[in-house]
Amino acid sequence: MSRVTLDIDLNRVEGDLEFQVDLEGKRIVDARCIGTLYRGFEQLLIGRAPKDSLVITPRVCGICGTAHLYTAVLALEHLGRIPVPPQATLIRNLCLMAENVQSDLRQTFLFFTPDFVHPRYAGHPLAAEIAAAFTPLKGRTVLGCLAASRKILEIVAIFGGQWPHSSYMLPGGVTRGANARDLVDCADLVDQVSHWFAEEVLGDDLEAWLALDSADAFFAWLDEPRHAASALGLFCSVARSVGLQAIGAGAEYFLSGGACHDPARWQPPYGEQKTLLAAGLYDGRQHRLESFDPGLIEEHVRHSWYRPYPGGRHPFAGETVPDHQPDSDRYTWAKAPRYGGKVIETGPLAELLAGGDRLLASLLAAEGPSAWLRQFARLRRAATALRLMRQHVADLGRHLKEPHFLPPADDALEDGEGFGLVAAARGMLGHWVQVRDGRISRYQIVTPTAWNASPKDSDGRHGHWEQSVIGLELADPDDPLELGHIVRSHDPCLVCTVHFASRDKRFRYGV
Amino acid sequence: MANLLWLQTGSCSGDTMSLLTADGPSIESLIRSGAIELLWHPSLTNAPSGHLARLIAAIEAGEQALDILCIEGSLITGPVGTGMFDAYKGRPKIEIVASLAAQAQHVVAMGTCATFGGIPAAPPNPTDCTGLQFDRALPGGLLPADWRSRSGQPVINLAGCPVHPLTITRCLAMLAAGLPLELDFLNRPTAFFSSTVHQGCTRNEYHEYDMEDHQLGERGCLYFNLGCQGPMTLANCNSALWNGRSSKTRAGVPCFGCTSPDFPRDVDLFRTEKIGAVPVNLPLGVARAHYMAYKNLALKAAPDRLKDREMEP
Repeated sequence: MSRVTLDIDLNRVEGDLEFQVDLEGKRIVDARCIGTLYRGFEQLLIGRAPKDSLVITPRVCGICGTAHLYTAVLALEHLGRIPVPPQATLIRNLCLMAENVQSDLRQTFLFFTPDFVHPRYAGHPLAAEIAAAFTPLKGRTVLGCLAASRKILEIVAIFGGQWPHSSYMLPGGVTRGANARDLVDCADLVDQVSHWFAEEVLGDDLEAWLALDSADAFFAWLDEPRHAASALGLFCSVARSVGLQAIGAGAEYFLSGGACHDPARWQPPYGEQKTLLAAGLYDGRQHRLESFDPGLIEEHVRHSWYRPYPGGRHPFAGETVPDHQPDSDRYTWAKAPRYGGKVIETGPLAELLAGGDRLLASLLAAEGPSAWLRQFARLRRAATALRLMRQHVADLGRHLKEPHFLPPADDALEDGEGFGLVAAARGMLGHWVQVRDGRISRYQIVTPTAWNASPKDSDGRHGHWEQSVIGLELADPDDPLELGHIVRSHDPCLVCTVHFASRDKRFRYGV
Repeated sequence: MANLLWLQTGSCSGDTMSLLTADGPSIESLIRSGAIELLWHPSLTNAPSGHLARLIAAIEAGEQALDILCIEGSLITGPVGTGMFDAYKGRPKIEIVASLAAQAQHVVAMGTCATFGGIPAAPPNPTDCTGLQFDRALPGGLLPADWRSRSGQPVINLAGCPVHPLTITRCLAMLAAGLPLELDFLNRPTAFFSSTVHQGCTRNEYHEYDMEDHQLGERGCLYFNLGCQGPMTLANCNSALWNGRSSKTRAGVPCFGCTSPDFPRDVDLFRTEKIGAVPVNLPLGVARAHYMAYKNLALKAAPDRLKDREMEP
């Protein structure tokens, strides 16, 4: 059969994404995920004061700047073995979860569900319900999502002054501690958003829904009319009726660096991730959780527009020199991270599988990974976060008299190296920093989408998204809606994926 | 009713996130009221693959009128002048932007990247990027300094990293309503850039009496030692609060001057450059000798409640 190559651009993702697929008939037989933007971010940090990373790196990504800020500050604290008071960790976690809830809600109802309002589904039995709930910028759930996502971000503004893009986390703490007034306001904001989430998204009590712990229990829950009529119910019914539970499997290894640093245990020397939701590699075939070792992270550039090196390199030893060769078999500005040589998926599904969510493990065992499960996990994570946020606000009340900032010694950031890992909205985010004589000498960022959207590696293995679409049958190659469902289920964020890793000196291209 | 096309170039999506955060007017209220018709927004439009390419072609061919063109992100000219660090379907974005700008009634630079180049244009500017009509502080960016849109105005510069949410939606509403939009010396609308960040900062009393902090995490003024650019920066952060709640300086984060052409400054961002005991950069328009005299007097007049940091910002 003859092979046709199709170039597809997708919007309603963060940033620029082009997908190139080879078709035989209507079946995808090969795929190339193309990052089309290169911004040179890490290069800007070389030679700057270490703390400048707290201003520069949040600007890597408008939608997850809090995650970048948190990761940058962890990397500096690791470098200087700087202690952080529990109140500061609680405030950081609270702000990061607020940002993640914002992102999960917007990704679901601004980016993912609009695909259901597509002419192809005009004859769907639920078309009227879909239109009422999910019509872009007009549907009931969409408007509620915009209001709720604005509301939850007020928590970041209380502690950080603004969202997006602030720099309120410092090595040793945060710029501003909590007071009783803040706790009342935060509790109210979490309550308002939780209330909307329960009423509109779940059609059920948040705790009752989180207590569901098996596929059978969930499908029984979904059969209840009140649940089926909720936004989640509608999303599940429509997605499953068009088969999204059967496509988009991908790598089947799920990696999480852990979520929500444990305020009580998060102290120097920071060797291992001490988080409330555990770190780990979840093997989706064997249904087994393996321990996590950040030393196993490597990046390959064999199919990326960078000067070649053999195999993969750990971020502390990374080298990346742009080498744009559009007419070769290199096809993207993204690099290919691998974990112990494995292609992995990261994101809410990975975070919750590693964290011990029994419902998701049960659904994974019953049906395997899919576009539906991945998107479902995102709403599950939002609910999990809202519950944790409520607990965090209560915990903060017990730490009000304690410091929010322990100023580090003047020379704490003079020399050394460190890294930080957090659970950002789209999965595991890592920063690796090296400092010499008080100046940043190397800075490397490995974003969640870098993992998910990676190109082929040195051994020719496709990245996770590429794997997730190869074999897919397209109903209409001119309008590859199924591909959109699968790719958007990964919550792509290309703006922070495509960057430029550092070298030991400042470098200017083309001079 | 004005139609709007929003394109992202070398961006982080932060201005789009800011747009979604504005609640009065909000993007959905502008659409509902009929003020704005969204032809295309990369994060919000629900249209099949290929729609944007057809839309661009129709505008370039003069078949589709374009009222407001919003550009978010730095204009990337690298590598070696090709623009291929940022391409759409193999075509450099800078070429598309210049072509669409020629057809638009109004062109709005959304954020400091599109305005002046922003963070990606900081040394060593690894992607050779610039702003739409400024290259940092120099007039002339992707478009020359004397360029004018069909309405006769230069590029309207909504500076900020990101732009303040309400600045975006208010400016779009003004353009849609045909209201006058006066611009300042950097082509920023005076409606949003006529006060300093310092104005309205709840640490002002500390500044007034020269109660300056030496380390972050405290309650005093951040200007003298900790790099705060509030007294030199034109923006409405402390008069139109962020997320309806606060501002960076209120929360103890120095202003980094993100609405200014030199953002991010090529110095340590959490440290104030000084000559002797006095900052190199003084509050806008203030003479050094006068400022020193005033500060010496102010320090002598400082009440204990400020010296003891009893006042909560």
